[in-house]
Parts: sequence; structure tokens; C-alpha cells
Amino acid sequence: MNNSLLLEVKNLQVYFPIYGGVIQKKIAEVKAVDGVSFSLHRGETLGIVGESGCGKTTVGRAIINVLRHVSPDVHLGGEVLFHDKNGEIHNLLHLNTKSMIPFRSKIQMIFQDPYSSLNSRLSVKQIVSEPLEIHNSGMSAAEINDKVLWLLEKVGLQPEYSSRFPHEFSGGQRQRIGIARALATNPELIICDEPVSALDVSVQAQVINLMEDLRDEFGISYLFIAHDLSVVHHISKRIGVMYLGNMVEVGEADDVYFNPKHPYSKALLSSVPNPDPKQKGKKRIVLSGDIPNPLNKPSGCSFRTRCPIAQESCSISIPELTAKENQLVACPLV
Amino acid sequence: MSEKASTIQVVKPQTIGQRRWKKFKTIKRGYYSLLFLSVLYALSFLLPVLVNNKALIVKYNDEYYFPAFKSLLASVPLVDNVVSTFQSGESIGQKGNSGDCHYRELMVQYQNEQGGNFIIMPIYPFNPIEDITTEGNLAFAEPLTSPDNIHTRILGTDENGRDVFARMSYGFQVSITFALLLVFVEYLIGIPIGGLLGYKGGWVDLILQRFIEMWSTLPVLFLIIIVVSFVQPNFLLLVLLLSLTAWIPITIYIRAEFLREKSKDYVVAAISIGVPTWKIMFKHILPNSLVPIVTNFPFAIVAGLTALVSLDFLGFGLPPPTPSWGQMLSTGLQNITKWWLVFSPMFALFTTLIMIVFIGEAIREAFDPKTFSRLR
Repeated sequence: MNNSLLLEVKNLQVYFPIYGGVIQKKIAEVKAVDGVSFSLHRGETLGIVGESGCGKTTVGRAIINVLRHVSPDVHLGGEVLFHDKNGEIHNLLHLNTKSMIPFRSKIQMIFQDPYSSLNSRLSVKQIVSEPLEIHNSGMSAAEINDKVLWLLEKVGLQPEYSSRFPHEFSGGQRQRIGIARALATNPELIICDEPVSALDVSVQAQVINLMEDLRDEFGISYLFIAHDLSVVHHISKRIGVMYLGNMVEVGEADDVYFNPKHPYSKALLSSVPNPDPKQKGKKRIVLSGDIPNPLNKPSGCSFRTRCPIAQESCSISIPELTAKENQLVACPLV
Repeated sequence: MSEKASTIQVVKPQTIGQRRWKKFKTIKRGYYSLLFLSVLYALSFLLPVLVNNKALIVKYNDEYYFPAFKSLLASVPLVDNVVSTFQSGESIGQKGNSGDCHYRELMVQYQNEQGGNFIIMPIYPFNPIEDITTEGNLAFAEPLTSPDNIHTRILGTDENGRDVFARMSYGFQVSITFALLLVFVEYLIGIPIGGLLGYKGGWVDLILQRFIEMWSTLPVLFLIIIVVSFVQPNFLLLVLLLSLTAWIPITIYIRAEFLREKSKDYVVAAISIGVPTWKIMFKHILPNSLVPIVTNFPFAIVAGLTALVSLDFLGFGLPPPTPSWGQMLSTGLQNITKWWLVFSPMFALFTTLIMIVFIGEAIREAFDPKTFSRLR
């Protein structure tokens, strides 16, 4: 049970169309996610790292199937396979609002900005009880109330706070409310979209520890999206590195963190500030140039314009993820 | 220790609503206009016991009658078919009058008889639709007498001998009620449609918006003139006809609000929980998009008020005996030399409109995130 697959993402593509001209014709596409594949086991945490705009958040939103609500014309390709407890496999990517509802309780999300992710017009109790009212329709009002108080206690908030409104809380407390809301329906997978990047470092540690405790207690899997590498290394079992809509390296957390193979992973990890003064002399790889426009991606390997080891052959074909030592790397040259 | 703890005051942070209300109260002319108009409008529901030609209390042969309160009851919609305000003159001692009692004459009669019967009249004992110049035993003034004439009251009489002040006060209630109802219907139609446009976006938005643009070219004034030419207009019919296109402006504001709000994380959170679409629109997004609704409200009221007054002025509004400011204005135009007929409705309309605009201005200022809207 513990090692069974929970989620498989196969060749996920998310293209946002761009309209222009007099009759609003489609003139281009932003390839926010272009062929990302990974898998996630039960109780496991997969970290996804990458710089801003590389499509990390879009991957998360494609999995919980909310992209079409915000931009109805988005092109979604590939497969998002959810393995439920009975061993059945469901492709979530093209489900409509109604047929998605049974999976909503199993996949939840924690958001980056604790200020905009809570509706300021609803009290904490209303926010946390909403998923219960939708997915556990058999529960009485008293049972829901008890569950809300229990959840608040679980995430380290005093139950007396339940009648307060989000604006009366600090950022860390708000993030705990968001976690309580995500936990309400006993989910199997929580997508954490940079859950700590808006918080102070000391509060970050509290929230991360809370999330680890909850994972161990309830056996939840996390898809942990972040740009803070040390946080991702701390919480994840495996790490995937993304660049410009592509996965460039996937492997066990320690392997990727201490022994990156892909030139982009190497550059990214060398930028992590190291608190150990003995390692002061460690070389930093500084990439030249800017991240290319996703509207007009370079041919072949999308990293080749900034890659220190790029060759002619890099512009010909998009490299596949292939096994190199312990991890999968999308670069034929290493 | 416990003593020290008890001295700590828990300061609850103010919500944005509380801050706005506080700011609104500091803008005196808007705040007092709101108070004044609210009190006046609340009082206007008591008009049948304040301004009426029916007595508040009649004591006749040890029996008590309350005709004014009966007409107060009858002023409630639906109840008016059940309650009869008729009280024949003969039944309470007015000889030779089998019709509805003339209470002002009867009061004088009782005083002359000195038989222990008495009548208490309302503060202003005239009705907006009675001809006060024809009452038998009192030498009331001619139609179109000025207020200087001792027998008439504050603002004189109009061309049909009706009391101008009584008509004006009843006209206030009619106008404000009409405007409120019109705005309510406008919002009832406009907010869901605007929400749908903004939330759905894409092709739904594009196509429905073009339909709305076509619909907005409907010539409502001509439509009303045509309809009124073969149907007797009434209050609800006018609200219906005017709201045919009046819902469009609020739709545009709400669409823009929903378009902005729907990409915020709390909406994504609601979707990922599985909240039904209509509930996301009305429970999550709408309470966060109230600003244009609230700020637009006073100006929508002004528009509704002026619409009714113009229709009445042109003669396409409420049917004749109904007291209305527009009809009074057109009477004033026909008798331009009679100052009390010209200035009374003008003054009433002007004051009401400017007060509502003051309220609107104060609301706008209260919702302004900047402390000062001008450099000081």
C-alpha cells in the first residue's frame, strides 16, 4: 500500500493561446508546460524546483484541474493519472466540473499567498467548514463544528479563533488556516504551491515542521513546489528540477541536491547560500543571459542559450530524460 | 499577575467596512443627508396619520373610532383590498351626509354642540387628493389661492383646489419608493448577468456583451409612450418598462469586478474544493465586489427619481390623482405666475436630489483608500 503509485503525470502540456489582430485570431502560444512527466507514490513528497516562470505553479494547477476556469481557451495535453485506493486509474486532465467533484476531496492545494488565498469576507470557521459541507454531506452541523475545532487544533491554532476573520491573523497563522482547509476532507495528495515563500524564516520552519508532522500522521503525499532549494531538500524524498516548461532532472533528494548532473541543476544549486564558513571557497556558477521568452523557445534543448557546455547538436532535438547514475537527466552531454 | 492581565485591553482590528463607515461619518453633509432622508422616508410611511383629512380619534356617544389609523393600514399593499376606510357621516352624527364623513366640519359641529363628543385631527388635516375649496360650511379659498390667504395652509392650493403641501409630502414617498424599487430590480437583473459575463469570460462574454449592446439601443421613452397610449400606466408597469434597459450600467461594473476577482487565489481555492459555480459567484466573489454596487447606488436612485419625474411631467407617468412631483411641476409650468406652484416641487426635487448626491459623494470618499483625495 505504502509504495503504490498515487499520481502519474505523463507528457503534460499546457499552452496558453495569445490572441491578436482585428478579429482576435490566435497568433501564438505560451508553452507554459511542455511535456513534463513524473510520478508520485503514496506518502511520498516530491519537490519541484525551478526559477520564476518555469511552469511549476502551472503543473500544480493542471493537476487540480482549475486552469480552464481562469482561461477557458487553454490547451491541455498529455495525461494526469490518479490511482485511487481501489487500484483504478482516472485521467483527471479532461474531466468537467461535475465529474471532477469526487476527486476534489482527494487532492487539495495550499497556496503561496496566505493573504489572497483566504476569502476575507468569511470567518475561519466558514472557510474550514466549506469543504466538509460539500464532500461530507452526511455530517450534522455539530459534527462539522467539532471537526473544524479539531482541525484548528491540529494545525496549531486556538479553537477560540474560529469566529474570527482572516484579516485578524498574521501570515503564518493564515497559512495554517489554509492548511486546515486543505486537510478537512482527508486528502491523499496535497499540492503545496510555494507554501512558505511568503513567510518569515522562523515561521517557515514552523509551517514546514507542521506539514511534516501531518504527513507522518495522516500518510498524505505532497507535491511540494518551491524555489527555495534548502526547504525542498529538507522536506522532499525526491526532487524534480524544471526549466522553461520542461523537467530537466529528477532523482532522490540527496542525489539531486549534493550531486546534480544537469548543467542547469548545477547552476541552480550552486546559488544556494551556504551557512558553513569552511566551504567558503566553493565555486558559484553564474548563468549568463536571461531566461528565454516562452513564446519563442529555442529549438532543441531550451537551456542551450545559457548552457556552459552547449554544443551544435543541442539545437537539433529536445533531449529526453535518461538514467544517469541514480537520477534521470535530460542532457545527453553529461 | 491577574490584575495586570485584566488591564490589558484587547483591541480588535477594524474591518474595512468599519473603517469606511467611520470615514463616511466624518463627511458631515453626506452623513446628515443620509440621516435626514432616512428619517423622512421612514416618517413618510406614517403619512396617513400625519397628513390626512381623516380624524385620528373620534369620540361619538361614548364610542371611539380611529379612521386615520384605518387608512394607515389601508396604505399597505394587498391589505388595501381588505380594509375599508369608509365611515358614513350620519353614523357619527353628521346630519344629511350619507357619504364619507367630513371630519373637519364635524369637529366644528361637535365644538358647537358641547356634548362631550370630540375629534382629534392629524397635525396637518388635509388629504392630497381632496378638493379643499368645496367643503360646505367653511369659506375655504378658491382653487389656485396663494398661501397668504388665511383659509389655506402652508403652500396654497393647485388648480383643482388640492393642498400643495399634502401633495408634496405624499409625492416624496411615491418618488423615493419608485426609485428604490427600480434600483432593486436593476440590481436583481444586472448583478447576475454581469457576474456571469465576468466569471465565464471567453466566448460567453464576447457574445452576450454584443447582445447587451444591441439591447441597450432600445428606445425606452418611446416604448413607454406607446405602451401608455393603450394601457393605463401604474407603478409596477413603469418600474418594469424603465428597468428594461436600466440594468445595463451595473452589469458592466460587475463584469469588470468579477473578471478581476476570479483570478485571485481564494477563487482557485474554492474551485479546488469543489464549490459549485453559482456559489463561487455569489458567496465568494460577490461579497468582494460590492464596491461598485454601493458607490453606484445613490446615483442610480437619482436616475430613477428623475426618470419618474420626467415621465410624470410629460404626462406618461402615474395616472392623475396620484400625488407626484412631475405632475406638480407641469401644473406649475401651466400657471407660471403662481410662485407657490412653481417653487414647491422644484425646491423639493432639488433638495432631495442634492442630498442623495451628497450621500453618493461621501460614500465615494469613504471607499477611497487615500486619506486625502486632494493635496493639502
